[in-house]
Amino acid sequence: MEKKKDKIGVYICNCGTNIAKVVDAEAVARYAATLPNVHLAKTYKYMCSNPGQEMIAEDIKENDLDRVVVAACSPNMHERTFRSALRMAGLNQYMLEMANIREQCSWVHKDRKAATKKAMALVSGAVQRVLKHEALESMSVDMNPSVLVIGGGIAGMTAALELADAGNFVHLVEKDDHLGGNIARVDLTAPYYYSAVDLLSERMTRTFEHKNIQVYLNSKLTELSGFVGNFAAKIQKQNGLSEDEAKAKEVAIGNVAICTGYKEFDASRVTHYGYGKLPNVITSFELENMLKSGKVETKEGKIPKYVAIVHCVGSRNKEFHTYCSRVCCMTALKYAHEIKSANPECYVSDVYIDMNAFGKGHEDFYRQSSKAKTLFLMYDKENRPVIHKAGPKDDCEMLIEVHERLSGEHIEIPADLVVLMVGMEARDDSHEIAHLTNISQDKDGWFIESHPKLEPVATTTDGVFIAGTCVAPKDIPDTVAQARAAAARILARISKGKIEIDAVFAEVNEDVCSGCRICNVMCPYSAIEFDEEKKKSHVISALCKACGVCVAACPSGAIKGRHFTDQQILAQIEGIFSKVEYSEPAEVS
Amino acid sequence: MAIRVNPGYIEVLDKFGAEDVQMCYQCGDCSTVCAHADDIFKFPRKSMRQLQMGLEEKLETSLEPWLCYYCGQCSEQCPREADPGETMMSLRRWLISRYDITGIANQFFNSRTREILTVLLIAVLTGIYLTFYGISGGSIHVYDGEGAFLPSSFIHTFDLTVGGIMFLFLWLGALRMWYFSMVKGMSIPVPWWLYFKKLYEIPFQFITQKRYAECENNGNSKLYMPWLVHFGLASGYSIMIILIMVFVEPLQAGPEIVWPLHIFGYLATIGLLIGCIYFVRQRIVKTKHVQYKKTHSTDWMFVILLIIITVSGIVQHILHRTGYLEAANITYVIHLMAVVPWLLRMPFSKWSHLIYRPMAMYFAEIQREAVVRQQKLVDPLSITIK
Ligand SMILES: Cc1cc2nc3c(=O)[nH]c(=O)nc-3n(C[C@H](O)[C@H](O)[C@H](O)COP(=O)(O)OP(=O)(O)OC[C@H]3O[C@@H](n4cnc5c(N)ncnc54)[C@H](O)[C@@H]3O)c2cc1C
Ligand code: SF4
Ligand code: SF4
Ligand code: SF4
Repeated sequence: MEKKKDKIGVYICNCGTNIAKVVDAEAVARYAATLPNVHLAKTYKYMCSNPGQEMIAEDIKENDLDRVVVAACSPNMHERTFRSALRMAGLNQYMLEMANIREQCSWVHKDRKAATKKAMALVSGAVQRVLKHEALESMSVDMNPSVLVIGGGIAGMTAALELADAGNFVHLVEKDDHLGGNIARVDLTAPYYYSAVDLLSERMTRTFEHKNIQVYLNSKLTELSGFVGNFAAKIQKQNGLSEDEAKAKEVAIGNVAICTGYKEFDASRVTHYGYGKLPNVITSFELENMLKSGKVETKEGKIPKYVAIVHCVGSRNKEFHTYCSRVCCMTALKYAHEIKSANPECYVSDVYIDMNAFGKGHEDFYRQSSKAKTLFLMYDKENRPVIHKAGPKDDCEMLIEVHERLSGEHIEIPADLVVLMVGMEARDDSHEIAHLTNISQDKDGWFIESHPKLEPVATTTDGVFIAGTCVAPKDIPDTVAQARAAAARILARISKGKIEIDAVFAEVNEDVCSGCRICNVMCPYSAIEFDEEKKKSHVISALCKACGVCVAACPSGAIKGRHFTDQQILAQIEGIFSKVEYSEPAEVS
Repeated sequence: MAIRVNPGYIEVLDKFGAEDVQMCYQCGDCSTVCAHADDIFKFPRKSMRQLQMGLEEKLETSLEPWLCYYCGQCSEQCPREADPGETMMSLRRWLISRYDITGIANQFFNSRTREILTVLLIAVLTGIYLTFYGISGGSIHVYDGEGAFLPSSFIHTFDLTVGGIMFLFLWLGALRMWYFSMVKGMSIPVPWWLYFKKLYEIPFQFITQKRYAECENNGNSKLYMPWLVHFGLASGYSIMIILIMVFVEPLQAGPEIVWPLHIFGYLATIGLLIGCIYFVRQRIVKTKHVQYKKTHSTDWMFVILLIIITVSGIVQHILHRTGYLEAANITYVIHLMAVVPWLLRMPFSKWSHLIYRPMAMYFAEIQREAVVRQQKLVDPLSITIK
């Protein structure tokens, strides 16, 4: 059968005045209509609106269009929208090309004539390119309902229980010899004084006893291969005694939840606080221990008359970490309260930079602490307190010298016991986890979410989720909320049974591949595997993000980026370089 | 040199009535709303801070508490219910105890029992002394003139002695205030002639209480009631003191009424009565004026004595003019039994503000001008009043 002539519809969007203000959209449409194969060219105020999309769908049906060019905003913004318009009209969604005449034209140019000519060139390129588009089908793969949870703190246990209660099998890997994480080291929790043990114990028992949860203590993940829906994970027991234990266990899973938490800042790094030198300078965790034992006293066994709590140790300064650790302010208030109620004769000074009481119940908690006569003293971020030993005539052990901002005075605070509110830090081995699961870390070592506002628990690796304090410092309620969110995201995928994979990915033509393996190391998503038998590289389409690095790298030209083929790109370039003419119409008053 | 913070000092001020100062988180709303705070005298926020931190010396040398008239605007604005107005009041009480070298004020403010016992003791001693004097030299049946139970010349000397003791303590206190604020607390030079230039402040502030009237009227009535009442009470008080100290002899003579003189006595009595009634009413029927919400026990002692004095004064006056001379003499003894502790208590109680406040304002104006002068000389930012 003779191939019928392709019919292209071109749609120029005004984007209100965003485009039309600088680009003469009508002229672009008139120009587009003259291009080969273009059947019709139209402008519209908002192409992405429902009437706009319906217009495109109607035109496709009525005029038998088989390719569409939309000249509008960035494809990042609305490619999905117009793809769905094509599907609505029964056309393959890949028969669309967008020309970005907003971000790349009207928003960055002032000269109307030049901008209009540029828009014409971009449309010409899109028209040439779309002629080379091929109909592609997206694939779907089965989802393995088992889940790997890394870290057995409050986040890990919460996520595991949520998933297991819904009937899915969970492998929970914890590197310590017990569950509970950092909360197991805390006495009472701010701001409601719930006992940390109570919060944990029910969860720990349930986790151990759950028929759908397998807990691996003293263990670590050593390898993760495969892709979303079908990962294979190797779990290695640390210091395993028997031969059987020394062997890594391999499990098949569909998704991973990383809940590896934080470690506390090492207070001895701040030299002028004298931690490790002055015996009665302790960290918040050491105080938690004292509170647990019910005795707050100095190393000499005396009840302290003056206790000073110093905030932001290791947090919020250029030398160590610039971020706020978020929980220490409220924890400090908790200490002030607990110390005062254990020993009413004691005076507590709270030396802070800002009181970050942002959460539910926190401001009231702060108020209560004022009521209990805590003396709040404010210091400057760039001008930290200095702790030194008091003289023999002083009625206290140590003196804290600091410039107090609210009074403007240079003061010294008496103290028998100093509590350093150590901040949170990414764990030393967090880069190992990042590497194994192929996710990114920020400059401080926290794992990066795929969108800081809208995707707080997803990562750029499909099927790998993050929750709790391994993402950033947070308190228990926020940690638990994230853990449940990650579990919910995984459950939604499990319940679908299969997952759709975009048809845009790289493909290796095995006949041409020389087996040089250059592409294997270049791929930033570890999406290329090497078939040792055939000695050929192979792209795992589910992992490929279609960045195109391998396509460019392959010395044999064996890799084709689907939807980004050489022919398509060359045609587009040719189109852009075609000659365009535009003379501004006479000014209409 | 770093100043030592004293986290425990807040407990000391607690006794003087600053019960809520720990709630302050230094937002500064109070200083913004206060009609009297300015760039140089930053209160109540700054005073709240110094108190929280227990900066005793800073507080002792500060005049700010005296610049506050307790209109209560700040306490109404405070988002933390830290009651800055009451804190300023408490600081005034505390300052009075600091200015007082005898330590009596401190005892009174800290123990209600000790105060009541002292007042009772002085009253009883006065009663015994007067009765003894009356019986030994005169007759209970005679009120004035020859053989009078309490002759007016004797009363005159008696009044002057008691008044003299009172003023001695007050001026000693004022001297200490000068030393604390103008010597110990000043880091910049004060030219001597400023003391003369600003001298008018003392009588001016004493008589008009003008700054009180500047306190924001909540917009409820044209006349600011607390100021009016205070004005009535203060003038009644002052006129009475002048009458007693200077004119007691013609005043006591009778039974005819010397109108050019007695009219002042009547007016003053009315002023005092209204003042007392208002004081009691505001504290019993709790009103919108925050300054009446809390009352230190020492305030009650003052009013109770004043009521006794006023009522017994009226009764004695009537009894004298109507010829019940024995009863008049007895009432007179009772009257004086209240007057003496009341006068002697003055320098050790809140009411010493009668002298301290105008003095403080005088010193404050000198400080202000000294600071402004200095600012013109050197870098404006380096100026501080310690
Ligand atoms: C002094 C202090 C007091 C606090 N008090 C309060 C409070 O009163 N109220 C409040 O809401 N919050 C409080 N917090 C915050 C609270 O500790 C955290 O919100 C909470 O612990 C976060 O839980 P998580 O599960 O994210 O991390 P974690 O508790 O750190 O748990 C992480 C777990 O993962 C394991 N793990 C780590 N790496 C690996 C690996 N590679 N492989 C396997 N397992 C691994 C760890 O061993 C650990 O068991 C306090 C924090 C501090 C520092
Ligand atoms: S929560 Fe408070 S103490 Fe902790 S880092 Fe932030 S500001 Fe500092
Ligand atoms: S009570 Fe009135 S005068 Fe006193 S500090 Fe408050 S606002 Fe100022
Ligand atoms: S308004 Fe209240 S909280 Fe704010 S500074 Fe004044 S006293 Fe403190």
